[in-house]
Amino acid sequence: MLALIYFIVLAVIALGSALCVLLARHPLYAGLSLVTSMVSLAGIYGLIGSPFMGVVQIMVYAGAIMMLVTFVIMVLNGARDSKTPMFDKVSLFVIPAVLVLAGLVGFALVRSPLAFDATTLRGSVELTSKTLFDMAQTGPGYFLLFEVLGLLLLSAMVAAVLLAKKRLGSIETENTEVKH
Amino acid sequence: MDIIESKTWIEWVITIAKFAFCFVPVLYILLLIPMERRGAGFMQDRQGPNRSYIKIPYFGKIRLFGYIQNMCDGTKLFFKEMFAPAGVNKVLYYVAPAIPFAIVFLSPCVIPWFGPMVFDWGDKAVRIPGSIIDSDVGVLLLMGFSSLSAFGAILAGWASKSKYTFLGALRTSSMTISYEVCLGLSLMGILLLAGSFNLTDIVSWQENHVWGIVAQPVAFFCFLIASIAETGRAPFDVAEGEPELVAGYHTEYGAMQFGLFYMGEYSHICINSFLIATLFLGGYAVPFVTTETMQAHMGGSLAILCGILAFLALAFLHMLHRYSKKLAATQQTHRFEVLQEYKLYKICGWAAVVVFVVLGACAWFLFNPANMAINGFAIGSFATALGTALIHLLVLVVKSVCFCWVWIWVRWTLPRFRYDHVMHLGWKIILNIALINLVVTAVIAKLVGGN
Repeated sequence: MLALIYFIVLAVIALGSALCVLLARHPLYAGLSLVTSMVSLAGIYGLIGSPFMGVVQIMVYAGAIMMLVTFVIMVLNGARDSKTPMFDKVSLFVIPAVLVLAGLVGFALVRSPLAFDATTLRGSVELTSKTLFDMAQTGPGYFLLFEVLGLLLLSAMVAAVLLAKKRLGSIETENTEVKH
Repeated sequence: MDIIESKTWIEWVITIAKFAFCFVPVLYILLLIPMERRGAGFMQDRQGPNRSYIKIPYFGKIRLFGYIQNMCDGTKLFFKEMFAPAGVNKVLYYVAPAIPFAIVFLSPCVIPWFGPMVFDWGDKAVRIPGSIIDSDVGVLLLMGFSSLSAFGAILAGWASKSKYTFLGALRTSSMTISYEVCLGLSLMGILLLAGSFNLTDIVSWQENHVWGIVAQPVAFFCFLIASIAETGRAPFDVAEGEPELVAGYHTEYGAMQFGLFYMGEYSHICINSFLIATLFLGGYAVPFVTTETMQAHMGGSLAILCGILAFLALAFLHMLHRYSKKLAATQQTHRFEVLQEYKLYKICGWAAVVVFVVLGACAWFLFNPANMAINGFAIGSFATALGTALIHLLVLVVKSVCFCWVWIWVRWTLPRFRYDHVMHLGWKIILNIALINLVVTAVIAKLVGGN
């Protein structure tokens, strides 16, 4: 009962702020609503017995990634974009996509059994680490995938740095590159 | 209701009473501001602000060693006009100072203020954790909260629509992100040794083995530097940067809105000191004494505690005595006023000595609660558990106050960094040291054995 009340409150906040992301005029407001949405999602994760997931959501997404996003928004736009129209040509693609996705998710939710016990742990620290790293239980699959994902992220980062560096070099020191 | 009947009433009382710990950082502000000002005075060989007074009959002007200055500052901030400069984003401008201050009330929830209280209540063994949220993810939650609190500075900087505040906000966000990484990585070594994110588990590991500062000295210094940087104080005050950016992200703020940022900063220091004390200095654990020993000789432990407090009161009295002797020998015109003021402190000091001695004697002779063992666990009475919790809390407070002093010490002795130097230190030095420390710890832990 108590869990249900918490869930409804958090879900309303999450959905409302997700709508705000779509409807906000200014990208910074959209970013902030996204943060609110993510924090309330973290609350829902905690509620269904996955405190680890919830905390990682707060730390990584709400804390670090959204911080970077706000950083980028502030650097790129500042106050300039506050007059953006709410709907433009891109909305022709975005709105159907959102509707179709909502329909799909709704369909999946209706079809799947919703009854679950909120007291069982699904994503606690122990359970997550066991699923990921306990080779006796799950075989090396998840472990290898985890490592490969790390490599993928690393290579993406290196590529981003290289791309940025090349652009900087071509603008500022065009002549020196020819000399080499 | 099931949820109410699931616990005995004493558990509910303690669980609700524990929420009072949320206000500890705010109370620490009262301690930290005079400490900072008088500390700065001490470093720079001057008095510091100690002239504000309250006048009471007979004793005259009471200054409380500069604590009255606090009240004056607070009153000034409260009664100043709240204003917003033209052109600011009104909503975010008013919301922004509240964010770091709201986080201040959430962060203390995961810190274990005392060891788990285990006691016997009507033939029922009751166990109450020392933190408000006894969660598996304790320390991660704290890191998450502290990363959220930077949003306040960012929004304030953006909403003020001024170049200085904007630059301050950008610097805050980049500093928070880079030092958050260092903070997390230097933390990992001790987490690896303790094998848990739960702060209570980490403290009990330290209690049974060695303190974190002995097991992980490198990580301790990385963590200390990173957390000083994260609070954004000198020498890492690039976000406020008085020589460059007026006052950084809160340039446009005045009155209590500025006060909220100011208090947020000091509470952040408090939280970080508590975190360092918990992670690296054994938290609530009393040095060289296990909790079991302490509980077995509860009366004696309380008597020793009272003895230490009485000794401190005597030291305070001795300090007053020396001051007044020095002052009486001079020809300063206000010396009689000050001596009159000291009379009050002397009365308070002697009263404290008498009270502590009496309390200690009572504890030694009268307070010998029986302990019994059920299933191998020593389960004492409620009084034992309460006494243990009190001692643990005092020990933790003493440890954290030491670290608060480190913050002030560092601020007033080291020259400030340039912005690129801060980034260089964070990403190229501390991060790598923390990574190497983590790898070495993991290898050694694996070789020595255990999981």
